[in-house]
Amino acid sequence: MKRFIVWFSCLLASVLHAEPIWFGASTAQRVLYINSTLDMSSFRPLLERFVARHPDIRIGYVDVNTLELYYLTVSESAQPSASLVISSAMDLQLKLVNDGFTQPYRSDETERLPSNAKWRSEVFAFSYEPVVMMVNKKAFANIEMPQDRQALLSYIRQNDEDVSGRMGTYDIRKSGVGYLLASQDARQADATWGRMLEAFGSHGVKTYCCSSDIIDDVANGKLVVGYNLLGSYAAQRAANDSNIEMIIPKDYTLMLMRTAVIPKHAPNALDAGLFIDFLLSDEGQSLMTSEELLYPIRASEYEPHFAMPIGPTRTIRTVDLDQQLLVGRDLVKQRRFIKNWELALELSSDD
Amino acid sequence: MWRRSLRPLNAYERQHDYRHSPSLRGRFIVVGAFTIILIALLAIKLVFDYSERLADISYDRLLRSALLQMDENVGQIEGEITIDIPWSAFATLAQASDDRVFYKVESSSQGFITGYFNLDSSPALPVEYGTIQFFDRTYSGEVLRFAWLERYITEPDASGTVRTVLAHTRLSREEMAASITQRAVELITLVALVSIALIVIGSQIVLRPLHRIEQVLESRTPGDLTPLTLKTPRETYHLKVVINDFMLRLQSNLEELENYTGNAAHQLRTPIASLKALAENARDIGKPEQQRQALEKIIEQCEALSDTVSFLLNQATISHRLQSQPMGLIDLVQPIRESCRAQALTALRKGVMLCFESELEEAIIVGDTVAIEQMMQNLIENAVRYSVLENGIEQKEVVIRITPMPKIYRVEVIDQGVGISDVDKQRVFERFYRGRYDIAGTGVGLSLVKDITKYHQAEITLSDNHPHGTVVTVDFPAFKFREDS
Repeated sequence: MKRFIVWFSCLLASVLHAEPIWFGASTAQRVLYINSTLDMSSFRPLLERFVARHPDIRIGYVDVNTLELYYLTVSESAQPSASLVISSAMDLQLKLVNDGFTQPYRSDETERLPSNAKWRSEVFAFSYEPVVMMVNKKAFANIEMPQDRQALLSYIRQNDEDVSGRMGTYDIRKSGVGYLLASQDARQADATWGRMLEAFGSHGVKTYCCSSDIIDDVANGKLVVGYNLLGSYAAQRAANDSNIEMIIPKDYTLMLMRTAVIPKHAPNALDAGLFIDFLLSDEGQSLMTSEELLYPIRASEYEPHFAMPIGPTRTIRTVDLDQQLLVGRDLVKQRRFIKNWELALELSSDD
Repeated sequence: MWRRSLRPLNAYERQHDYRHSPSLRGRFIVVGAFTIILIALLAIKLVFDYSERLADISYDRLLRSALLQMDENVGQIEGEITIDIPWSAFATLAQASDDRVFYKVESSSQGFITGYFNLDSSPALPVEYGTIQFFDRTYSGEVLRFAWLERYITEPDASGTVRTVLAHTRLSREEMAASITQRAVELITLVALVSIALIVIGSQIVLRPLHRIEQVLESRTPGDLTPLTLKTPRETYHLKVVINDFMLRLQSNLEELENYTGNAAHQLRTPIASLKALAENARDIGKPEQQRQALEKIIEQCEALSDTVSFLLNQATISHRLQSQPMGLIDLVQPIRESCRAQALTALRKGVMLCFESELEEAIIVGDTVAIEQMMQNLIENAVRYSVLENGIEQKEVVIRITPMPKIYRVEVIDQGVGISDVDKQRVFERFYRGRYDIAGTGVGLSLVKDITKYHQAEITLSDNHPHGTVVTVDFPAFKFREDS
């Protein structure tokens, strides 16, 4: 436990010293600090459009890992540095709300939002995130690409040598969203999840902190398969790189939501609200599609989208933005889950 | 004879009077509306209490179910008490869509196991192991509804208890209670408003028969005293009957007055005509001696006329008195004794002795002293008058006697005069009836007596005295003191 705390303290210290990326004129009267897990490639056009619309606001954008972001927000609860916290780890965002670290916000845009995309008017989902697999096309030149988890498992069985040490997934200890995906996998299909873990463990799976790192390694051939990646990043990269292919698992597809919360004592809650409105506005939502950034929360239900090329299917398992998310973050359950994960993947807890 | 208003009201006063008269309909509406509003307020208060209870009952069910699901998953792994919270438990709680959830699991041997460390998990009610208790408590700045359960650990090789508390905010409960209350309040308000409207309309309908009676009466000609034949509801039936009764009484009074006036005019016209004749006669007689005789007759006639007039006036006075003066408790003996005393001398001059016989100190009845005196005066005068006519006996005597009987006082006036024939006995009480026209009198004496006895609810009877003469018996009902009854 002590080691944990020291580790987090170091982490927090590193985050606190991270220099924000600035958007907007340096002469703007108001400054809005955003702590976010969103990769700059998916977010930059939105930020630029926002400061263009609001020239009097300057945005200081800090990119943080999902788990770090949660601990940072909790540790700063008395005097938050950021007025807006954006994360794909829905469970941690919801826990922030449940535990009273956030404040409500209401506007025409948030009222327009469907009730399953917000909770207590304190956490708002602005985009979906399908959870996908990614493969290196070269490795599958002669074989059919696996379209679901069963096919992936049989591929691993049949190609022991090729896949050994060449599969990648989230390190659920370091990534909040990785943990969420794993726990939801376990919840959706416990048996399949067990076999996946076993297969990963016996073939020396590599663990990563972030989607983009896994995609990099799939692209450069270090990995043949990346499992549980965020769809918008994968789609962006797959569109620009002919080496890689995004696969939407057909047995079931987890669907996350990216959410935003305003911390309780946020210094600039007003502009944070404005930014949420912008993300939820028609302009913000259509920008996500036209610039191929994200899968908007108010996406058409019937049309395929760059991040969801097969279109909405019946196998989509949207993770509900409600109290159930707290179960996954139960202390005992989380500890046991991570311990089992470490055991299966033959990792020591010191990693 | 009748009470009447001092003067009729003019139009302005009537308007003023009308405006300041209390309105039956207004009172009905006010009382009705007030009652309905009171009931509505009471109902709203009940709904408030009830809706809160109802919301608690339904959401406590959720909480209980979730808590039991958690409790079922408390187990022992490698000698340690632990819990694997099922997703379904929180899916249940997610039905209370916007409520924050807090929980804590601890055991007597290990202490805190999981959940929110600083959540106060002490029970609010007396502890009963294995039984869930619910209570409200503040945590994290909000009032939470707690479900609390502590039970003995059933795993082998383990001892002690495990305590699970699950709490959520009251948002959904309040929303549910508010929606129930709002619906109910809307409904109650609607019902109350409709009821008040119905009362306003209903009062108009209910009071319509009264207006109809009023219109019928108003449109009548002044002399029309025939009963109302209007068909009215049962509730106004009595009013109609009373109005009809009243009109009947008015009519009979008017008829009586008409008769009386007619008779009185007749009674006065005859002596006046004869007076005129006598006076003409006296004028035409040349001899002073005869003229003087004629004048004597005129004076005699005048005296008779004066008597008649004073009788009539007396009767009017007594009638008025009887109708206007309330009766009181009086002593019957005293006015009778007074009357005897007053008449004794006059009687004696006519050669009749009055005898008052009574052993009573007092005889209490409900009545009017003046009327009793008047009655006795008339009876005694009559008795004396009839005694004088009888020539047989030298010592003429009229006895006035009061005797107590069960529940009554009997007053008798006994004379030894000529008596009254049986035919006359039937008629002497009629107004202006005169048994014998050879005797001076007006014919109103006994009818007045009859009126007075009737007014006192006394019985008057005439009977013969032996060997001759008349006995007039008047039985007054004695006043009943309480101790007698």
